Amino acid sequence: MGPRGFGGFATSVLIAGAILWSFVTTDVELSRLVSAGPRIADFLGRMFPPDPTVMAEIRKGSAETLRIAILGSLGAVILSIPLGILASETMVSPALYRPVRTLLAFIRAIPLILVAMLMVGAVGLGPLPGIIAVAFHATGMLAKFYAEAIDGVSRAPIAALESAGAGPLVRLRHAIWPQMAPVVARDTIFRFELNLRESLILGIVGAGGIGFYIQTYVRSFQYDKAASVTIAVVVMVIAIEALNVALRRRFA
Amino acid sequence: MSPAAQIDDLTFAHPGADLPALEQVSLQIPAGESVALLGPSGAGKTTILALLDGRLHGWRGRVSVLGVPLDPDRPPPRASRPDTGFVFQEFALVERSTVLRNVLNGRLGRMSPLRALLGSPTPHDLEIARTALADCGIADLAERRVDSLSGGQRQRVAIARCLAQEPRLILADEPVSHLDPARAGEVLALLTGAARARGATALFSSHQPDLARRFAQRIIGIRDGRVAFDVPSSELKDEATAALYREAEPLPGLSLRAVS
Repeated sequence: MGPRGFGGFATSVLIAGAILWSFVTTDVELSRLVSAGPRIADFLGRMFPPDPTVMAEIRKGSAETLRIAILGSLGAVILSIPLGILASETMVSPALYRPVRTLLAFIRAIPLILVAMLMVGAVGLGPLPGIIAVAFHATGMLAKFYAEAIDGVSRAPIAALESAGAGPLVRLRHAIWPQMAPVVARDTIFRFELNLRESLILGIVGAGGIGFYIQTYVRSFQYDKAASVTIAVVVMVIAIEALNVALRRRFA
Repeated sequence: MSPAAQIDDLTFAHPGADLPALEQVSLQIPAGESVALLGPSGAGKTTILALLDGRLHGWRGRVSVLGVPLDPDRPPPRASRPDTGFVFQEFALVERSTVLRNVLNGRLGRMSPLRALLGSPTPHDLEIARTALADCGIADLAERRVDSLSGGQRQRVAIARCLAQEPRLILADEPVSHLDPARAGEVLALLTGAARARGATALFSSHQPDLARRFAQRIIGIRDGRVAFDVPSSELKDEATAALYREAEPLPGLSLRAVS
C-alpha cells in the first residue's frame, strides 16, 4: 500500500467513524421515526387547504421583508465602499488590507439569524434590527467582492493616469471605477437576492418581515394559515430568482 | 536653451534581474526636436522612456527632465507630472469609457483636485480635448466607446490623451509597432507634427530605422542597454543600423546548434 493508498484508507475510516459516532450518540429511536409518518400526514392534512384569508398579512409581511432587504442592502453598499477600498491589495498597504480582510471574514462567519437575535436584544422588535443585521452580515461578503473587483481591473490605464498626474482617488474614479462598474452591479444584485431570501425568515426571531407570521401561525397551531404564508414565501423566492436572472443578463 | 532631458552615467537594473537593463547611459534630448530611440527589442528603449517619465526608481546616475533633476528614490512631484506626457505601447486606455472621456483623462493632472475627482472639465479643458481629437483626426469618434475601436483608432486616442495633457516633453513607446507601414507613417507624422506645433519635444522609440530616419531629427541607437550611436538622422549610416541589429556573437561554450 503506497502512501497515497494509505491516505485514502485513513480518510474512509475517518468518515465512517464520524457517521457511526453521530448515530450512536444521537439516540435515534427508530420507533419514533416510524410513528412520525402518520403525524406528518396529519400536519399536511391540517395545512390543506391553505387559508386564503391571510392575504392582508402576507402583503404586509412581504412588503416589510422587501423593505428590510432594500434598506439592509443599501446599508451594506454604504459600508462596503470604504471597506472594499481598505480591503484592496492594490489601493492600500498589506498592514491595512490584511486586518480588514480578517475582519470581513469574521463578519461572514457569523450567521445572519444570530446577528438578528443580538440586534433584537439591542434595539427591540420590528424591522430595524432586521435591517441592521442584514447590512452588517452582507457587508462581510460585499466588501470582499468590491475589493476583488478593484484588484481585478487592468492596471495599464491606472499607470497612465498616474503618469498624467492624477492622485489615488482620481485614479479610482476615472481608471478603476469604469472598469469595475459591471462587476459591482452584478455582485450587488446577487447580494440583494441573498438578502431578500435570508430576510424572509428574520421574523422568526422577531426582526420583522413575513417570517413573523409563519412563526405566529405555527405556534398557535393554525397550520392552514402557515401554509398560505409558506406558499407566498416560495413564490417570492422564485420571483426573486427570475428577476435576478433577467438583471444579470442585462449586465452581462 | 537647456535640453528637454539629460541623462549622465545612468545604470539601472530591474528588481530581481541579474544584468542591468541600462549601463552607463549618457544622452541628451535637445528641446523642441523630435528624437528617435532606435534598437532591437529588449535593448532598453522602454526602460529609458519609463525612467524619464519618473516611473522607475533605484537607478544610479544623474537624470534631469525639463531642467528638473529626478530623485532616484521617490516619484516626481505630482504637479510636475503633466509636463511629461507618455504614449503607452499597449495604449492603456479605459476600454469601457468613451473616446472623449479618455482624452479628458489626460487633463486630470491639470484640473483642480475637486474637478478631477468629479470629472467635470471646464470649457477650457473641453476645448483642449476637442482640439487634440481633431489634430489626431478622430473628432467624429468622440462619443464612441474605446472597446468598439480598431487598433489604429485606439493609438490615435492614446496620442490625443497625451496631447490633452499639454506636455512639454512627449515620450512615446513604440507608438506604431501595431500598425501597417502606411498607417505607421501617418501616426508618426501626426505625433511629431503635433509636438512641433505645440513647441514640445518628442522622444519616441522604434525598431524600424526607415521610420526613425523619416520622422526624427536625431537618432540614438540603443543596444544591450548602452548607447551605440547618437547622430543627426541625416548622418545615420546603414552600417550603423546594421550593427545595431546584428545577432550577438555566440557565447563561448554555447553549441552552434543551440544558436541556430
